[in-house]
Amino acid sequence: MKKTDKIIIALLLIGGIAAIFYPDTHPYRRVVDRHELLHELMSEGRYVSTDRVAEALMQNDPSLFLVDVRSPEQYKAFTLPGATNIPFDSILSPKYVDILDQDVYNVVLFSNGSRLADQAWLVLRSYDYHGLKVMKGGLNEWYRTILHPAPPASTEVTKEEYDRYLFRKGAMYFFTGIRPAGTSAAPKPAAAPKPAVKHKKKEVTGGCG
Amino acid sequence: MGPLYPQELLNPEYNLLIGFLIGIGFGFILEATGFTNTRKLAGVFYGYDATVIKTFFTAAVTAMIGLFLMHHWGMIDIYKTFYPSTFWIPTLIGGAIMGLGFVIGGFCPGTSLSAASTGKRDAWSFIAGVMIGIFGFIFTYESLWKPLRQSGKLGKVNFPQWLGVREGLFIFIVAVLAVISFVLYQKWQDHWRKKLTDEDLNDLGL
Repeated sequence: MKKTDKIIIALLLIGGIAAIFYPDTHPYRRVVDRHELLHELMSEGRYVSTDRVAEALMQNDPSLFLVDVRSPEQYKAFTLPGATNIPFDSILSPKYVDILDQDVYNVVLFSNGSRLADQAWLVLRSYDYHGLKVMKGGLNEWYRTILHPAPPASTEVTKEEYDRYLFRKGAMYFFTGIRPAGTSAAPKPAAAPKPAVKHKKKEVTGGCG
Repeated sequence: MGPLYPQELLNPEYNLLIGFLIGIGFGFILEATGFTNTRKLAGVFYGYDATVIKTFFTAAVTAMIGLFLMHHWGMIDIYKTFYPSTFWIPTLIGGAIMGLGFVIGGFCPGTSLSAASTGKRDAWSFIAGVMIGIFGFIFTYESLWKPLRQSGKLGKVNFPQWLGVREGLFIFIVAVLAVISFVLYQKWQDHWRKKLTDEDLNDLGL
């Protein structure tokens, strides 16, 4: 055996032994700048309202990708139409990288309230994942606004508030199949244009359904 | 940092230029180590020359160790490099055809180009054969080979994952296997060389 053969064999063995001491490989993680992260966290630009989500679902928006970060049991019990379940404890699992780290869909995270989805957003955003949104208020807000929409509380209803109420009633019919009570009569919205300040206190009681 | 091209840190023209320079280097080394000698190359099948197996196995193990360590040192993200899906049946058949061509012609596609540049006429006819094979395959790609191409699909195979061992340990095992094969093959070569006279060796161009 020649001298060069021996040197090459020694180098290969040294390299092989060195490799034993290293852990398995993982894709490089990009880390986002902390100041940028803090700024984004304060700006609330990540939030989308339940109305926007409902609208996208009703229009069959192909860019919408809903992700339920609650436990599989909760997911089975109730979730939004077409939502994918990625439980909070496995959001960093390599299985879900293709869903969460991409720039094709508008991925909207949701949980019961905003908190769990917000935490998931923070963890994922810190790895520089883009385009992730959080449904503000979560399923509680969904229940309150879309599944059981309340008529505008105040008599001083703006056109915008009234339109939103009508939209929510439509959305409720879309998602539950239940025709909202008083659809044709709509007595409360009818009272809206009146500048009836004196009725104000009385009307407030109708706020929560 | 790397790989440069998939992360668009390098424009396509420079990518081609670098490929060109590496190709020249590769061809030069092939010629310098005697790989353009068909009898040396075919010797790996008969046992009188171990150069091919030593070179290719060393290259594979060096690349394996180098990529693994460089990934850990933050120099190249190997998850951004390309590796193809495995279709084991066509790979097996293709490998057998390639091996047959290797032992009959005494060239692999790379060394045939290298040898052709040194003026060897058998290399030119080998290249002509390669071209006939390539164009024959292209024109029958959809009509004849579709069932074969898609048979034995295994997806992206990763040996350490498949065997359930740590990547570092797998690399060490392959490195040891490479060294063992070098030593054994060297002994086999020495055994054959004893039977050959100086005149034989001269005739083989070794």
